[in-house]
Amino acid sequence: MLPVSIQVRQALAKLVLPALLLLSVGIMIGGQVEKPVADRARMYVADGLAPLWSLLAHGQNGAFEIVDGLREARHLAQENSRLQAENANLRRWYEVAISLARENDALKTELHWVPEPTPAFVTGRVVADSGGIYARAVLLVAGTQSGVQTGNIALAADGLAGRVTEVGAHAARILLITDIASRLPVLLESSHASAIMAGDNSPTPHLLYYPQDARPIEGERVVTGGQAGALPAGIPIGRVHYLHAGQPAVQPFAALDHLTMLRVFDFKPSEIEPPEAPGHVPLAHPRRPLALPFKTLLPPGQEG
Amino acid sequence: MPSPRHTSWDPDTEPQLTLRQRLDRAARHLLPTVFAILAIIIFSAPVGLPGAAELLPAIVLSTVFFWSVWRPSGMPPLNVFVLGLFMDLVGFTPLGVSAFILLLAHGTASYARFGLMRSNFLVVWCVFGLVGAGAAALQWTLACVFRLHSLDPAPAFFEALLCIGIYPLLSATSSWFLRFLDEKDTP
Repeated sequence: MLPVSIQVRQALAKLVLPALLLLSVGIMIGGQVEKPVADRARMYVADGLAPLWSLLAHGQNGAFEIVDGLREARHLAQENSRLQAENANLRRWYEVAISLARENDALKTELHWVPEPTPAFVTGRVVADSGGIYARAVLLVAGTQSGVQTGNIALAADGLAGRVTEVGAHAARILLITDIASRLPVLLESSHASAIMAGDNSPTPHLLYYPQDARPIEGERVVTGGQAGALPAGIPIGRVHYLHAGQPAVQPFAALDHLTMLRVFDFKPSEIEPPEAPGHVPLAHPRRPLALPFKTLLPPGQEG
Repeated sequence: MPSPRHTSWDPDTEPQLTLRQRLDRAARHLLPTVFAILAIIIFSAPVGLPGAAELLPAIVLSTVFFWSVWRPSGMPPLNVFVLGLFMDLVGFTPLGVSAFILLLAHGTASYARFGLMRSNFLVVWCVFGLVGAGAAALQWTLACVFRLHSLDPAPAFFEALLCIGIYPLLSATSSWFLRFLDEKDTP
């Protein structure tokens, strides 16, 4: 310590507070004038404190986990009994399903049922779409090398997701059913009515052209319809939900906003060819260019 | 104002302190500052404590006021200044504002401490209420001056009320600490 007298020391001690006040005023003004320096000082301090803060956040997470665990443990017995009841119920349904499947098999055998071909499918990982002409479309890492073709059907785990619109060697773009360019023929399962499901870039595509005497019922299942041969019939899509009175929409089963994997099915619709009927003017096949039907009527050598 | 280091000025009349005693004394003097710094770190941590932004100035101001009144050796002006500057650096207030306000509160408390120590707790609380309201008003004014347009005064009101409300709690805790330290002081 400096050898100064008590009086000087006391006077100095009294001067400390005003000096510091002046210093803080100086810092205030300096901080306003030299903002980058102040910001750098802040960042420096925050950098230094970051490990401490992350430690605190870690501790907080641990505490929350313990609290959650305790809360769950309190409801454990209740949850257990609920699950047991549900399990018994499911077991019963399992038996019912097995007996129905056996009965179905037996009936098909009786009727000499021609089995439908099992569709081939490939599974691919969904990567975020980098653009394109559609607002709701995803890119799938599976292309022509894996057998994906334009027009194939993409299914998520629990419902229809979309259709393949463009295919590259290693990737395919899938137009989701929520896109504004998507129009699909659908069948309403309970009211047995067909309709068109039109996307509008919102999570719930709406229903159009349903019969006015069979309005869609809230909550009924919507499956694909087989009209026009674009899609195989009976693929589950979602449930009817009325957003407003008179505006039925479909809530898709598939979680279309966070798709991770998609299965692409090739249903080979072109294999089912209608037999030739004499005098019948064939309609345009959706996948083939229109062939002039009158060509056959002209004698050979006269066309062109 | 008696200085805390009065005893160490004349080493001839005092027995030389051992290292342990010196460490003990330093820890005791630093305790309020360390508490305030810990409070600043915890309340500025991004863990989503409710009302942390308003609670932090209230806690620091109450701590500074309490120790400035009852034990100024634990809260010298330099520590107050460092606390305020640290709060400014960690938070989003303009640099130096908290330091200025805390130093003013410290000065007020030191000036009035002999009157306050004799009086009732309610009187001290009232005086602290005035100090807290003044601090919130000053902070609001300075913020307005630096941003060059008038801000919403509601957060300043909230902060002042929080400041007044939290003082009894912190006062009780700090009194307990004070008694604990005094017991250790007189073996």
